[in-house]
Amino acid sequence: MPKKAVMKMYENAKRTVLICCGTGCLANNSMQIYERLKKKVEDYGPYFQIIPVLKTTGCNGLCEKGPIVNILPDEIFYCKVKVEDVDEIFEKTLLKGEVIERLLYLDTATGRRVRSHKESEFFKRQLKIALRNIGQIDPGSIDDYIERGGYKSLKKALFEMTPEEIISEIERSGLRGRGGAGFPTGYKWKQARKINSFPKFIACNGDEGDPGAFMDRSIMEGDPHSIIEGMIIGAYAVGAEKGFVYIRDEYSLAVKNVSRAIKDAYERGFLGRNILGSGFNLDIEVVRGGGAFVCGESTALMASIEGKVGEPRVKYIRSTEKGLWGQPTVLNNVETWANVPVIIEKGADWYSSIGTEKSKGTKVFSLVGKVKNTGLIEVPMGTTLREIIFEIGGGITGGKRFKAVQTGGPSGGCIPEELLDLPVDFDSLDKAGSMMGSGGMIVMDESTCMVEVARYYLKFLSEESCGKCTPCREGIRRMLEILEDICAGRGREGDLELLLELSETVKEASLCGLGKTAPNPVLTTIKYFKDEYLAHIREKRCPAGVCKNLTSYRINPELCRGCGVCAKKCPAGAISGKPKSPYVIDTVKCIVCGACKEACRFNAVEVVGRR
Amino acid sequence: MKILIDNKECEAQYGEYILDVAKRNGIYIPTLCHSDALPGQGSCRLCIVEVIEGGKKKVVVSCLYPITGEIEVLTNSEKIIRMRKNIVRLLAARAPKSDYIKKLKQEYGITEEGRFSVDEEEKCVLCGLCVRACEEIGAKAISTVNRGTAKKVSPPFEEPPEDCIGCGACASVCPTGAIKVQEIEGKRVIWNRSFELLKCENCGKYFITKEQFEYIRNKFGIEIKQILCDVCRKKLTAQKLIPLA
Repeated sequence: MPKKAVMKMYENAKRTVLICCGTGCLANNSMQIYERLKKKVEDYGPYFQIIPVLKTTGCNGLCEKGPIVNILPDEIFYCKVKVEDVDEIFEKTLLKGEVIERLLYLDTATGRRVRSHKESEFFKRQLKIALRNIGQIDPGSIDDYIERGGYKSLKKALFEMTPEEIISEIERSGLRGRGGAGFPTGYKWKQARKINSFPKFIACNGDEGDPGAFMDRSIMEGDPHSIIEGMIIGAYAVGAEKGFVYIRDEYSLAVKNVSRAIKDAYERGFLGRNILGSGFNLDIEVVRGGGAFVCGESTALMASIEGKVGEPRVKYIRSTEKGLWGQPTVLNNVETWANVPVIIEKGADWYSSIGTEKSKGTKVFSLVGKVKNTGLIEVPMGTTLREIIFEIGGGITGGKRFKAVQTGGPSGGCIPEELLDLPVDFDSLDKAGSMMGSGGMIVMDESTCMVEVARYYLKFLSEESCGKCTPCREGIRRMLEILEDICAGRGREGDLELLLELSETVKEASLCGLGKTAPNPVLTTIKYFKDEYLAHIREKRCPAGVCKNLTSYRINPELCRGCGVCAKKCPAGAISGKPKSPYVIDTVKCIVCGACKEACRFNAVEVVGRR
Repeated sequence: MKILIDNKECEAQYGEYILDVAKRNGIYIPTLCHSDALPGQGSCRLCIVEVIEGGKKKVVVSCLYPITGEIEVLTNSEKIIRMRKNIVRLLAARAPKSDYIKKLKQEYGITEEGRFSVDEEEKCVLCGLCVRACEEIGAKAISTVNRGTAKKVSPPFEEPPEDCIGCGACASVCPTGAIKVQEIEGKRVIWNRSFELLKCENCGKYFITKEQFEYIRNKFGIEIKQILCDVCRKKLTAQKLIPLA
């Protein structure tokens, strides 16, 4: 074939392929997918009129369905792509624009395959502000960020606005700190600006440590420039000339991408001396944290940046007055900083039109646990838990019943089914005894034991408490002791009362936020699932069949059809019987693994109390 | 400005801590991690009080809460007593043998522990005073290590500390007697390190480690002609002054 004809054949190939390289997709070989596709494109190079662009992006959010390959401008969204699929994607979709049906996203809500992710329930209900660029750009490319309007807000802030105007814009937008406490960002900046003491500092809290949460990691990995731009605007507004991005060292990709973004920003004149000729100077550096959960607490984080032991101090004098090295410091969370450029660009009125009366804008959540679509989502404040879990999340896996959702990380609370219509914002979650936290959301189904959940979180907190103050260190330890006893069948009358009394002391008398919120998992589970505690303590029974010491199984002879599946699955050989008549479990041999219950199709295996 | 502590009117300076004002006015608030010689830490939480400011009540630690307005302080409200009792109970479960904790237990009417497992051997309550004292002296030989329930005070790598000068400030500020110091035959052993002691050139009593003596001499850059213990130094100075009187 003459070369010219071949070229004509492939002139339709001016496509952009976005390959998700968030941590989840990377773990499932998305880098190999990228390499293979790149090689394909290179091999065909001479035949292309315009060579397709391949980009590795940050996390798309739909981690459950990764690796994700998104092809533009067709908007063909492939899920669970394997390296073996690459040749077919190249030949069919990239060259001819044909859709490969089997790789399309299967919408859990409708059961249909959808071509573009925008048509899916998972994405349709989301509104992306903080995550605006993630999945759309190569986080390693500053040009990608600029192409999507990046650093425009910085120019606007530096040349069209005074620091006071910026602060007033942020204040009017109603933006509240996304790290958990929901402190009004604009007010914080105003306080820091007011104080006439130099130097001043700004810092970004990227010490995300909640189990199951990865909101900030995704932003740092997938769109680092949005944080840097926000920080430069903030620094200009408060008059700081030095900034720190504190990232826990376990987030190696985040450290890499943010460091690279800072370097590129220096090269383009967005950082350093006389930024864009404005006369404003700012240096930003990355500080790597050692992975202590407590270093996410503002004063502990600052101690850590200063090179001291990461312990909090009392906050009767705020960090905006005396923070890093005793100087005024503005510390905001990753997501908060990422919101700033958008507010400057689109204005406070636009931003404050989203959300509820006292919680404006959107919030990013990592939706995990027993839900069909686990991943990263961003929704307007005020979206109900039910919408998040059942519509965006697609409901509970395995046909089981919803039991509770834990919001706000380890020191958040467990919210039961009757509160599912709660609009998610700072204040309503607080009222329910939980909290917004930084946005972790763990969905639990009926097979979860709520006492065990409380025990798990207290165990985490007892290890992660810095140990400085008595109520937190000793109080959590003793509460954990009691919970361990209850789970092991050693619970006593009076334990619940003692737990509640200790909770008050830990909550009220602890030094920092970690201790002040640590009893939440215990308090909310006692409030909403008291029956389960009582079953453990009085009847020595774990209703969910989780606590091994308090569980045994029994086959209900009326429901058993005698199929023998349970006996086959039993690893201990504890089930015997004849086909077509009810089987029996030998409780002495039984190791309480629950395999029989999982296997039985007739719900004949029942959980009963301690044998 | 005037503040109210337990209904007693007290005069306070702007920025003064509640605890200091209370002490001056003879109002007792129990403390553990506080020393007048060291900056406050707010770690033991025994000195919690309720502050009423602008109609709002909050629990604060009196050792570090700065007075910036006309507030009312309750040092013994029902809530404070309840929580302080719990804190003492927690401390007692950790370090039951300490005399100071025993005294507190008595004060708050706490009977023997029935629900918590008790650390029979432990004396340290992790108040942090020793670490603070060592920092202030300038040696910085010990620190708190680990976190959570595994936290403890230790020299680096749990080895005899190189930077220690054997001054014993840590042991002297410790409210629960948790730091072991042994002195036998001209030697002092602390933190598993043995120090040679110097004698007072007047009375002949061993009183200072060689390292501490050197440390002081270097720190202040002064020529010390005679090694004298506190008592003798005062005595000899006084004798010099008598003829002048």
